[in-house]
Amino acid sequence: MDTSGGRFLLYVCLIAWLLAVVLPFGWVIVTSARSTEEIFRAPFGWPEDWSGSLGANYRKAWVKSHFEDYFLNSVLVVSSSLALLLAIACPAAYALARYHSRTFRWLLVYFLSGMMVPVQLLLVPLFFQYKDWSEALTVALSPLFAWFGQNHVEVSLADSHPGLVLLYVSLSLSFTLFILTSFFRTLPTELYEAGIIDGCGEFRAFWTVMLPLAKPGVVTAAIFNFIGLWNEYFLALVFINTDKYKTLPLGLAAVSIQANYRSDFGLLFAGLVIVMLPTLVVYIFLQRYLTQGITLGALKG
Amino acid sequence: MAEVSFKGVKKIFPGGIVAVEEFNLEVHDKEFLILVGPSGCGKSTSLRMVAGLEEITDGEISIGGKVVNDVPPKDRDIAMVFQNYALYPHMTVYKNMAFGLKLRKYPKAEIDKRVQEAAQILGIPDLLDRKPKALSGGQRQRVAVGRAIVRKPKVFLFDEPLSNLDAKLRVQMRTEISKLHNRLETTMIYVTHDQLEAMTMGDRIVVMKDGRIMQVDDPITLYDHPKNLFVAGFIGSPPMNFIPGRLTSEGGAVFFGDGHIRVQLDERLLNGQVQGFMNRNVIFGIRPEDINDTQEVREIRPNTSVKAKVEVIEPVGSESIWYLSAGPATFIAKVNSHVRAEVNREKEIVFNVAKAHLFDPATESAIV
Repeated sequence: MDTSGGRFLLYVCLIAWLLAVVLPFGWVIVTSARSTEEIFRAPFGWPEDWSGSLGANYRKAWVKSHFEDYFLNSVLVVSSSLALLLAIACPAAYALARYHSRTFRWLLVYFLSGMMVPVQLLLVPLFFQYKDWSEALTVALSPLFAWFGQNHVEVSLADSHPGLVLLYVSLSLSFTLFILTSFFRTLPTELYEAGIIDGCGEFRAFWTVMLPLAKPGVVTAAIFNFIGLWNEYFLALVFINTDKYKTLPLGLAAVSIQANYRSDFGLLFAGLVIVMLPTLVVYIFLQRYLTQGITLGALKG
Repeated sequence: MAEVSFKGVKKIFPGGIVAVEEFNLEVHDKEFLILVGPSGCGKSTSLRMVAGLEEITDGEISIGGKVVNDVPPKDRDIAMVFQNYALYPHMTVYKNMAFGLKLRKYPKAEIDKRVQEAAQILGIPDLLDRKPKALSGGQRQRVAVGRAIVRKPKVFLFDEPLSNLDAKLRVQMRTEISKLHNRLETTMIYVTHDQLEAMTMGDRIVVMKDGRIMQVDDPITLYDHPKNLFVAGFIGSPPMNFIPGRLTSEGGAVFFGDGHIRVQLDERLLNGQVQGFMNRNVIFGIRPEDINDTQEVREIRPNTSVKAKVEVIEPVGSESIWYLSAGPATFIAKVNSHVRAEVNREKEIVFNVAKAHLFDPATESAIV
């Protein structure tokens, strides 16, 4: 790619790629400020009344179509999933990367093999599993509820946020361990040893020396999981039925399903932007770590 | 202030690889002891066992009279400097140095005092606010040393601390570490594969090979009286020449070799043991600096000169290295650069037989 011709070709490709990504995105944002009538009159065009349609679309989406609640639900579910996931995966990946016994090797293979299982295959067993666990939990927790003066409380993992979080955490664990283990492996053992000699115990060596060094890897894992979970539709669709528990992707789907009765495309586009925005913001602020994490992980896999 | 003692220490790694065995050694208080040997000889493993980074398979290591086999590294009162510095990249130089003290709950004022003091000693007071990645190799090494000295440990452990530095800086840091030892008067154990580093820095040197101690002595004794072929070949640069041949006696004098190289041994070498090797094969060892050009020697003793072909001449400054051959034997001489010689010509050279060594080819140990 040293020749000017090669360089020109490279730029053409990159610009084409850039346009392919940015144009639809810009179209969605611009269109979210247009009314449905406008959109149908001319799908590609500038908003006639910027502030009016923009405000109307977003207000409708946020309040009337309950994006307010869906957004909050998504934030709640995704953030607690990420917190729990990283709290489990970081120490686990550290241990799997550091100790080289046969048991640990097989344990890692076992975890990674989880990536090969298609989620769709797990749905029915998971449903029954959740049913069994819910019943068991109901029995186990009934004394506690009784103590609070609540009788006949039924615990349900399906159709609940904790149930969804549990699913998200367990199904993301393989991939997260995959990223983090290979990342922890790239860190020099001497740093751990220096920490131990300086006076750290095992946990402190992990917490104050190794974990801060793994920050690019942890951020990478967090972003990938955030994007995946924020947009997660399938599991949420199957496990969440009650409207007030729905996450954003379900809310967006609900809007487009409503389109059967009256197609409000302005509203739909506004909803799309609401869904996309957090991912974009997270990406913009953390992309430095993301690229760093990817390349670092790639150097020594 | 402490002695370190190894009693029958053995280390077997998982998979049955024996890294160190029959390791018996007393490191004196305030001594600068060097562990030297080729890679894989077990020197680093021995050091890491003192640090507590490797478990001891068998035997006993004690520091200051206390057996530390089961004492965790942080309670051994040791500090270690690693080959790749192992500075914490996310902490400033100050924090790197203060970390160990902070963990041990020293008061802030005391930590500050010690860090500033160490920074002064090492000439890095301007760097305290920097992160390690903004430092050069030499500066990083200083910080790593600083991190060790602020702790004021009983024993300092150095694991090839200079091998990542360039040649010039290495020589400079070598002197600085020696000075530091004189100043701190603390027991130091230093691992290196570089025999020159070992010779210049150590009070005593432990030469290791295949997990065993070959010889423990002060540098000059090690140089003058190597106990075996390995030590003789390892210490000194260029290495000692080894020439196989027979010992014969003739009219009361003892000769080594026949044909191309035949020299009469010095009487001082002739102890009872040598008599036992009469008419047997031995290995004759002589250092390059003990082979001279006839011009360099005032008086040539009888039967000590040899005719040899000069194959290569390497001038290294005040001295030149001559690669010589005489019949099947090849050897190296270190001669004054001002002595002229021509490549591919025969030259008469003199062996300083008083400084020669004899080794038993079977056991590889020194006869004299």
